[in-house]
Amino acid sequence: MPEKLVEVVNLSKSYQSAKKGLFRKSRIPVLRNVDLQIAPGEILGLVGESGSGKSTLGKAVLKLIDADEGDIVFDGQNLGGLTTSQLRARRKDMQIIFQDPYASLDPRKTVRAALSEALETHGLYTGDAQEPRLEALMKMVGLSAEFLGRLPHEFSGGQRQRIGIARALAVEPRFIVADEAVSALDVSIQAQVLNLLADLRRDTGVAMLFISHDLSVVRFISDRVMVLYLGRVMEVGPANDVHFAPAHPYTAALVSAEPSLKPKGERIGLKGEIPSPMNPPSGCVFRSRCPFAIGACDEKIPELRLIGQGRYKACIRDDILKGAE
Amino acid sequence: MLRFALNRALSAGLMLLVVGTVVFSILFLVPGDPAELLLSSDGITASPDAIASLREEMGLNKPLLAQYGEFLVNALRFDFGVSLIDKASVGDTIATRLPRTIELILAGLVLAALTGIPAGTYAGLRPGRRFDRIASAVNAVLISLPGFVIGTLFIYIFAQFLRWLPAGGYTSFFTDPWLHIKQLTLPAITVGLHLFSIIFRMTRASVLEMRGNDWVRTAVAKGLSRKLVVRRHVLRNALGPVITVVGLQMGILLGSTVLIEFIYNWPGLSGYLVTAVQQRDYPSVRGVILVVSALFILINLMVELLYSMLDPRIRLE
Amino acid sequence: MKSKRFSIPGRMVLPTVLLTLFVGTMFIAPLIFTFDATKIAVSERLAGPSWAHPLGQDGFGRDRLARVLYGGQVSLTVAFVASLIALAIGTFVGLIGAYFRGPFEFIAMRVSDVVLYFPPILLALLVVTIFGPGVTTLVAVLALLFFPSFSRIAYSETMRVSVLDFVEASRALGTAPSRIVARTVLPNIMGPILVQFSLTAAACITVESGLSFLGLGVVPPAPSWGQMIRSARTYMEQDPFGIFVPCAALFLAIYAINLFVDRLRDVLDPKGQLEGKDAVSATKDGAGTPELGEGNVAELRALTLTLDRGADLPPVDLVKDVSMALRANQNTALVGESGSGKSLTALALMGLLPSGIQPTSGQIAVGRKAGTPVDLASLAPHAAEQVRGNDIAMIFQEPMTSLNPVLRIGFQMTEALQAHSDIDRAEAREKSIAALQSVGIPEAASRFDAYPHELSGGMRQRVMIAMALLAEPKVLIADEPTTALDVTIQAEIMDLLRDLRSSHGSGLSMLFISHNLGIVADIADWVVVMYSGEVVEEGPTDQILRDPHHPYTRALLESMPSAHEDLHSAKGDRLDTIKGTPPLPHLRPSGCSSRDRCPMAQPVCATIHPDLYRATSGTRAARCLFAPEAPEHLIQKEAV
Ligand SMILES: Nc1ncnc2c1ncn2[C@@H]1O[C@H](COP(=O)(O)OP(=O)(O)OP(=O)(O)O)[C@@H](O)[C@H]1O
Ligand code: SF4
Ligand code: SF4
Ligand SMILES: [Mg+2]
Repeated sequence: MPEKLVEVVNLSKSYQSAKKGLFRKSRIPVLRNVDLQIAPGEILGLVGESGSGKSTLGKAVLKLIDADEGDIVFDGQNLGGLTTSQLRARRKDMQIIFQDPYASLDPRKTVRAALSEALETHGLYTGDAQEPRLEALMKMVGLSAEFLGRLPHEFSGGQRQRIGIARALAVEPRFIVADEAVSALDVSIQAQVLNLLADLRRDTGVAMLFISHDLSVVRFISDRVMVLYLGRVMEVGPANDVHFAPAHPYTAALVSAEPSLKPKGERIGLKGEIPSPMNPPSGCVFRSRCPFAIGACDEKIPELRLIGQGRYKACIRDDILKGAE
Repeated sequence: MLRFALNRALSAGLMLLVVGTVVFSILFLVPGDPAELLLSSDGITASPDAIASLREEMGLNKPLLAQYGEFLVNALRFDFGVSLIDKASVGDTIATRLPRTIELILAGLVLAALTGIPAGTYAGLRPGRRFDRIASAVNAVLISLPGFVIGTLFIYIFAQFLRWLPAGGYTSFFTDPWLHIKQLTLPAITVGLHLFSIIFRMTRASVLEMRGNDWVRTAVAKGLSRKLVVRRHVLRNALGPVITVVGLQMGILLGSTVLIEFIYNWPGLSGYLVTAVQQRDYPSVRGVILVVSALFILINLMVELLYSMLDPRIRLE
Repeated sequence: MKSKRFSIPGRMVLPTVLLTLFVGTMFIAPLIFTFDATKIAVSERLAGPSWAHPLGQDGFGRDRLARVLYGGQVSLTVAFVASLIALAIGTFVGLIGAYFRGPFEFIAMRVSDVVLYFPPILLALLVVTIFGPGVTTLVAVLALLFFPSFSRIAYSETMRVSVLDFVEASRALGTAPSRIVARTVLPNIMGPILVQFSLTAAACITVESGLSFLGLGVVPPAPSWGQMIRSARTYMEQDPFGIFVPCAALFLAIYAINLFVDRLRDVLDPKGQLEGKDAVSATKDGAGTPELGEGNVAELRALTLTLDRGADLPPVDLVKDVSMALRANQNTALVGESGSGKSLTALALMGLLPSGIQPTSGQIAVGRKAGTPVDLASLAPHAAEQVRGNDIAMIFQEPMTSLNPVLRIGFQMTEALQAHSDIDRAEAREKSIAALQSVGIPEAASRFDAYPHELSGGMRQRVMIAMALLAEPKVLIADEPTTALDVTIQAEIMDLLRDLRSSHGSGLSMLFISHNLGIVADIADWVVVMYSGEVVEEGPTDQILRDPHHPYTRALLESMPSAHEDLHSAKGDRLDTIKGTPPLPHLRPSGCSSRDRCPMAQPVCATIHPDLYRATSGTRAARCLFAPEAPEHLIQKEAV
């Protein structure tokens, strides 16, 4: 294993159910026992269907929401042990980019105000150093420094997304969570932003947790990919390997369902619908939809086990999807 | 559905308890002796004898918790003590006067709903057209006229100037039905006008909002006639919010009816209340407020149940 | 760089002037003229207007003008001070409750709820009973009555704002909570709070004058409007004027404030200004019988759709010169980036254009199962109803909002059937359940009685498809039917749509709209590519995707990560991109609309607006001067 920048150990999180009885309070589990590591400068892709817990994981890693249990270790320091003000200081190193370019910028703040808030909070580039830094940031994300005085509504979606990226980069973070950062963009703009993120990683060595539901995008940008289903990790491995030779039935189903220009092989269809997270199937959570399920699958929760170089899967069957090994 | 209803009924019950507690404790939250407070005016303090006898009369000498328990138990039995002024039972007085207030409000509500909903729908479906512009302008005027202003002007115009209707008073329906109706007309219209302006406004806004929804486009794409699209896919959806607002408005209405009853000499709860406040007859005021608040909570309970029948999503909440 | 200067929006001018004038009169007039509001002159009681007393004298012979002005001062001051206190307390409570949650939230919201459960005037009376009447009591009572509405609004607005990404971004930056609340949350909730402030001021005036009218508010001899009405009532018959003066003052005050609120709301919430818009624009009657080409089931010929931008701005063509033919039993795909005009084109075919958008030239033709072709965009409403859903049907992108949430699915299906045939309930039910089964809905009979929210997004889209096909239309328009769905569900819906052609008895032509070329490859026989309101290329799917002729189509394909499985960012690979963003419809460049983003653009592209050039042999067409289909002479002539 390479050196770790971010490590998540046994993370679980549930939300208060919106369906409130007068006497009974119920909780919906959204993440269960998730482990992950990210090396400095590495991009880890996170995929899964809506409701699988991708965004929750992204925010929990940054401690923007509190997990029920589990530890988050950043650069050797357990974030759970920090006081609120220590944590706020630590935020300089970890940032986030959001999905919706229209909701992620305060409509009442100019670009300059949004970017300088980041600098001022951490006392970076104060005084005369501020303006050159802001200009440098704008250049870094491919925007003209003239735009600093403008308000968000004067920009297109792609430009807003660049401003969101500039805000995250302002504090020179070592780790960024990109939550569906290109999903709301048109293909032509999406490609521009993907290239920008790839360049930034190369130039600044920032590590990323790249969340997306688009497998091709994740394959292109990530070094490794992690697949989430109903709050559990199904498979982890190098991006190309997972994409071209999925080892877990769920990953295989996702890849085969993806629209493609080229004619593809037989699709791996799934049965039924995603079960409610309130009462997931016993044993393997994917059991109710898995085309390869056997009797033994309901006995216990399959653990995430090593199946090859840097590859892990949470499935008891080794006799299927031979391409992987 | 039953579960939902029980759930709502239970929280309405809790709310009643809270309201009762507040009404009970408000006298004790003020620093100083409650009896002294009630008897003093303009900085002149009452004689110690008077204070002592009032304490005795209101049971203020008992421990607070005992007073509280007694108050709650008695309130459940519709017993709110006796008036400080004429020693009449507060519960009895309320029982005679409450039905008159309810009659007035219901009459106003029916008038307002029968006119406000159709007018609001028509305006909402053709915003910016002539009907909408005129109706909205008239409505802006109505909404800016407090009920007692309308009442006072009505009395001048219809009773004094035109002499079409009596200026006020009350005759039991069973004594003289025709006179009863004539006496009811002006107060009911006064109550109704204000409510109309709220219903009209809300219906219009709600219809406007609903008709822009995706499912309306689906309905048109299906080939439904315009009439059916409006009735099933716009109006049906728009009524829920209207009912909720009307329910909440009932609180304000119950309050402003006080003034309207006062103006028309309608012997409902309010004449009683106003006199009681002027004479600082605390038990009477407390009784009326408790009963009216309970009524308000009950109305809102009914509104919630009605809404949940109109919109199945509410039951999930 | 232009900085944004502060200015009062036009709609605010009138109410602001009105309000300022009114308040100004109350407070400034007594400074200029000397009035005495309390001087009694019994001999002149109820005197009419005179030079010395322009509004006459009241029952004690006091000057009425002075009393109205001073009464206004009292009423307005009480209302303003009470509203301000209510605003401060309520906003603070709501803000703290919502941002910090936990016990703060509980206390803040429960206290407000309790106050809201008392009818306002009654609560005021309760307090007056205890403290006796007077101005101080009045202010305290009004503040108590109205702070909950502020805390409710502040609470719900803060809840709304604090989950927005930009607040989350501030938290992620490590900004201190106090700074986030003051600099980010507060400015963003101020609009609704200002509106509430004005509403409260109006309500305070009403309650105050009501209490004073009952003799329980402002105590004499201090003047107040409510009190003036009360005492004038006594002399109503001799002196009606005495009633009208304070009534008019009261009305004007409340009216001015209400007008101000209404306009303020419109300005703060631009959604309100759209409220005049119908989901569907009214069609104008007219147009003869459109023609339909041989073998086509629907057709657009040189269609231009124009948006009317009001009197001040010139109209703009959102869709320009679009021609397209849907052939019998063929699937046509319409692709392009967001805003390229795909949906509008489809809606025009259905006669469902949003209001403000009208076809201004060209021809629309939809074939019928029986009878001559029609143009739905200009057909009389009643005639159009018989075609929609019957000969041509449509499904939409958002399965979650496309079905009416308060009606059962079965009802929404049977009403579609009954709109087009005299079928009885039982038979309609049977047919609908069969349709649900045919789109792969398990336990169709019980789903028939379900409400939309009881089904998942994928299931709802299946319901939409079943519903659209009930009357066996010849043409089905599907506008991004899978965009809102997960990939695995998307694949299943695509399977269903692909199979429709063979299973649908009398044949079906589909117009499939998508921004995803990968999906298109799967389903379409024919592809039409749109860019900035124009068709830039069309042809058989395999040819277009293998060998695009228009630079834009090519760039679109190149920028798709799924088309480049050999590339990886870590190897230093980058995707080919199209620079810039699509132009807004009213800012299209001269000459070729693609010019400012086209990697192959030449000087000549700025002068000639290319046509959609059609190949002499074969069926393809492209709108580019350098496409193989373009006549050679064009470029040569210009190039020299
Ligand atoms: N109701 C409307 N009023 C004014 N302009 C509109 C309206 N609807 C669409 N437009 C404009 O018309 C153009 C084409 O819009 P259209 O919805 O057809 O695009 P689209 O290709 O379907 O995009 P998307 O992929 O986002 O659905 C856009 O510039 C859009 O802003
Ligand atoms: S454990 Fe069984 S059910 Fe789960 S993925 Fe593997 S084969 Fe499927
Ligand atoms: S005409 Fe010119 S600018 Fe337009 S697409 Fe062709 S090469 Fe590009
Ligand atoms: Mg569209």
